[in-house]
Amino acid sequence: MNRRGFVARLGRAAVGARVALLTPLRLLRTPSLEGSLLVPMDDTQGDHLKAYGLTYRAIQAGGKVEWLLNYRGGSFLLPDVDAIRRDAGLAGVTVTPVDEGAVSAARGEIAAGNMDSVQLERAPKVAVYVPPFEAPWDDAVTMALQYAGISFDKIWDPEVLNGGLKAYDWLHLHHEDFTGQYSKFYLLYQGAPWLAEMVHRNTAVARDFGFANVPALKKAVARGIRDYVSGGGFLFAMCTATETIDLALAAHDVDIAASFADGTPVDPEADSKLDWSQAFAFSGGRLEQSPAIASFSDIDGHQVNVPGHRQPLGAFQIFGFSAKVDPVPTMLVQNHRQVIPDFYGLTTSFLRDHLKPADIVLADEQGAPWVKYIHGDLGKGTWTFFGGHDPEDPQHQVGDPPTDLSLHPHSPGYRLILNNVLFPAAKKREIKT
Amino acid sequence: MRPPVRSALAALVLLSGALAAPAAAQGVGQGYELERLGRYPQAVDLYRTILRTDSTNLAALLGLERVLPQLGRLEELVPLVNRAVAATGERDPQYLGLELRTYVALSMNDSVASLAHRWTARVPGDETPWREWAIATLDQQDVVGARHILLEGRKAVGNPRAFAIELAEIAGSTGDWAVAAADWADAVTTDQGQIPNAVVQLESAPENAHRTVTDALTRAGQSISARRLGANLLLDWGQGEQGWTVLAGTITDSSRETVMSLWSFAERGGQIGTPAALGARGHALARFADFTTGALAQQARTDAARALLAAGDKEGAHQIVARIGAGEVTPGLIDVLIADGELDEAARRLQGMADHLAADDASRIRLELARAWTARGELARAEQALGTDSSIEAVAVRGWIALYQGDLGRARAGFREAGPYTGDRADATRRTEMLALITDVDSAAGPALGGALLQLARGDSADAVTSLRSAAGQTAAKAPRDGILVLAGRVAAALDTAHRALAIDLFSRVVADSAGAGAAPAAAELEWARLLEREGTPDRAVAHLEHLILTYPASAVVPEARRMLDRLKGAVPRS
Repeated sequence: MNRRGFVARLGRAAVGARVALLTPLRLLRTPSLEGSLLVPMDDTQGDHLKAYGLTYRAIQAGGKVEWLLNYRGGSFLLPDVDAIRRDAGLAGVTVTPVDEGAVSAARGEIAAGNMDSVQLERAPKVAVYVPPFEAPWDDAVTMALQYAGISFDKIWDPEVLNGGLKAYDWLHLHHEDFTGQYSKFYLLYQGAPWLAEMVHRNTAVARDFGFANVPALKKAVARGIRDYVSGGGFLFAMCTATETIDLALAAHDVDIAASFADGTPVDPEADSKLDWSQAFAFSGGRLEQSPAIASFSDIDGHQVNVPGHRQPLGAFQIFGFSAKVDPVPTMLVQNHRQVIPDFYGLTTSFLRDHLKPADIVLADEQGAPWVKYIHGDLGKGTWTFFGGHDPEDPQHQVGDPPTDLSLHPHSPGYRLILNNVLFPAAKKREIKT
Repeated sequence: MRPPVRSALAALVLLSGALAAPAAAQGVGQGYELERLGRYPQAVDLYRTILRTDSTNLAALLGLERVLPQLGRLEELVPLVNRAVAATGERDPQYLGLELRTYVALSMNDSVASLAHRWTARVPGDETPWREWAIATLDQQDVVGARHILLEGRKAVGNPRAFAIELAEIAGSTGDWAVAAADWADAVTTDQGQIPNAVVQLESAPENAHRTVTDALTRAGQSISARRLGANLLLDWGQGEQGWTVLAGTITDSSRETVMSLWSFAERGGQIGTPAALGARGHALARFADFTTGALAQQARTDAARALLAAGDKEGAHQIVARIGAGEVTPGLIDVLIADGELDEAARRLQGMADHLAADDASRIRLELARAWTARGELARAEQALGTDSSIEAVAVRGWIALYQGDLGRARAGFREAGPYTGDRADATRRTEMLALITDVDSAAGPALGGALLQLARGDSADAVTSLRSAAGQTAAKAPRDGILVLAGRVAAALDTAHRALAIDLFSRVVADSAGAGAAPAAAELEWARLLEREGTPDRAVAHLEHLILTYPASAVVPEARRMLDRLKGAVPRS
């Protein structure tokens, strides 16, 4: 995986709206030779989510930062400087000053157990794919980044089509429908102003870029994202984006959109014409043909909006990996909880039968035919898919208010999201995955 | 031999018919499953097979209606449905509806129109074909076409108010609120049971369309039902008084509908809960009481008086109380008297009916009376009202009485004993805050502080600020003195510009003089930040919050400060 090579090529031009949440730290004082700050990520931590922001800003400021995988819940080791202490104090992040002796003792413990230390060397430049209009649902990753204080840019279809992804290390997708069917809410929410706005904006972009319809536009965007990953980018997707981007990629020459989206019905033979070799994670999915059912295919195990097929929520368990052998999946699963209550999304989970053989399962529900959290490589980059919409709102409905993360500072589900933000910061080394 | 043969044949036919029905049902079930799996061609074959033995099998025909469009072969349904319609004598609306939808989906406009008119001719006044046609047209996103069809249908069936609900919903969905209001007026005039539905549909009109809607519904000559609908919308949209005026104009008889319109209007007003809505509720309940008798009437009048008091209409409440009558004393009436400030009268009536009251009611009313006397500053009468009540509620009230009397020791004891065990969470928080404030205040400052807090409780905030500062001056220990100054600053911060400047002065003194000791400086800095946010200087508020968090990391107000900081920086959504 040539991630660092990609990082080195990064341009500085910002694309889209820059969302600066906190002023980057400036390390005003040379780090003490003896001292470091340990950011414990076990149950002693005061705010797990903001700890990621603190670490991100420390990397941004050029400090030497280490991620101590599996050590006290996946702790961080930061330089002991005033700016970081101040930042931690303001954010409510628990930090413990440790001298060289304590660090050595910790390193000894790490060397002896299923733990490892990874150096985080460059703050990844983050883009979140967000439409420029307000949808009546929240976006877990945007909220996590805002709460943690990690800067990001908002991009949408025009930026992707114009090649703007090259400027970023990390791209996030959330409740996006890359089949171009407006989450299949078209019939259910007909007349709703937000849906009218969504249709209007998408149609305008399709027209501006010369596409016949919105599904065609979204297929091109999906291909642009695939090219970005293939070239070395990091993709993290949640909820509907996971399933629909794969459907859009597999359907490059097939009509899988209902007539309300493109004026023609779904190709009745579409299932057999899908080209799964183009997809990130899935194969063999069968489309939901009804335009009135807000479900895309049988890839999702829970089918929350399909009467008679909806499955109840259970809990998913995070896998344990060998930190020294498989540091990438180990980074992605760092947590202070191993079992996490499940949560619905338009796509909640992924049926095992539809996973590609090379997919790495990071979390699943034991005994269930579905998995929750998966990861894989594509070309020089990687992708990670996390089912569900909002880890702290298991039944998030259209129109519900956004989740206030200050009420969930220890959310293990949100930690999984933030692991993905820091993972691209890891210094490249030979990794066996 | 022939009869036996005929019998055998008849038996065979019956048997095959008996076997065919479950077989067909089973086949349709298989068809559903094939549909679910997306195997549409196979589903079509199966439904066709069923129709070969039973040309009128509706489930199979409907299955084809679902599946054939997915294959782009809907035209194959036409001969099948034509045959089924003919076989059922062109009378069954289910088959006719299917035929009509098929024509619409295939854009066979002439056939659709012809069928709708034939249907109406065969069953005069039947609205079904036009409704089916409009719905099918709507399914194709053709809102204008659907409206046109319904208007044509209205003529065809000879009823000028036909399809009013459908037309109203179409108009609402396209934002044509004047037309939607007119159509809903027609709909509720035909069926006043539709008023709640109409209210829900019209409520979503944007604010700039409210006037158009209510004018259309309440104009002269409009039906009573339409005006009642308009009254409810006025109430919803913050014009309770106008709503009541419109509703009152429709109360021209004593029919059940009229009485229930008053009741539902009053209920809606109570749910909205604004002063204007409560005033409207009060009037509606008072009028409702006129149509009822006995306990129900008294209860309605009592509730009406309560609502009017809550709306600030004391005179209206007085008039209703007067109608309840001296001989009709109820606990509710005494509640109203207390809320109205008629404490002597309330005490007199309580005394008069003490023997008839349930113990719980008597205790509750005595507590209310004591609180009311306390709020008025008549502390001795408040004590007297409590009598020998030893409940935890009474202990808390006695704590407040002692505080305002300046007896800090007795106040502390009362608040500690009451703890969180009485009242709601806000009550418990107020007691805790007050306990924290007075814990280290020396008794010499008690009367001054008690007097200042009583002024504050009675709403005399400006004088309370002065008195609190004076009480602080009489407090020897620094920590409690700073606490009183912070309270004075908090009160001042909510007043005019001059007082806000004073508040900042008080906060800055507490922060500067305290050298990080005690709880007051952190509290002062938080209040300072709140004031700066209200004044539109969030950046300065952020600076104070950051200073607070970093300087007093162990303070109890740090979580609150951090939350405010998150909000100001956009890290959490505004709620």
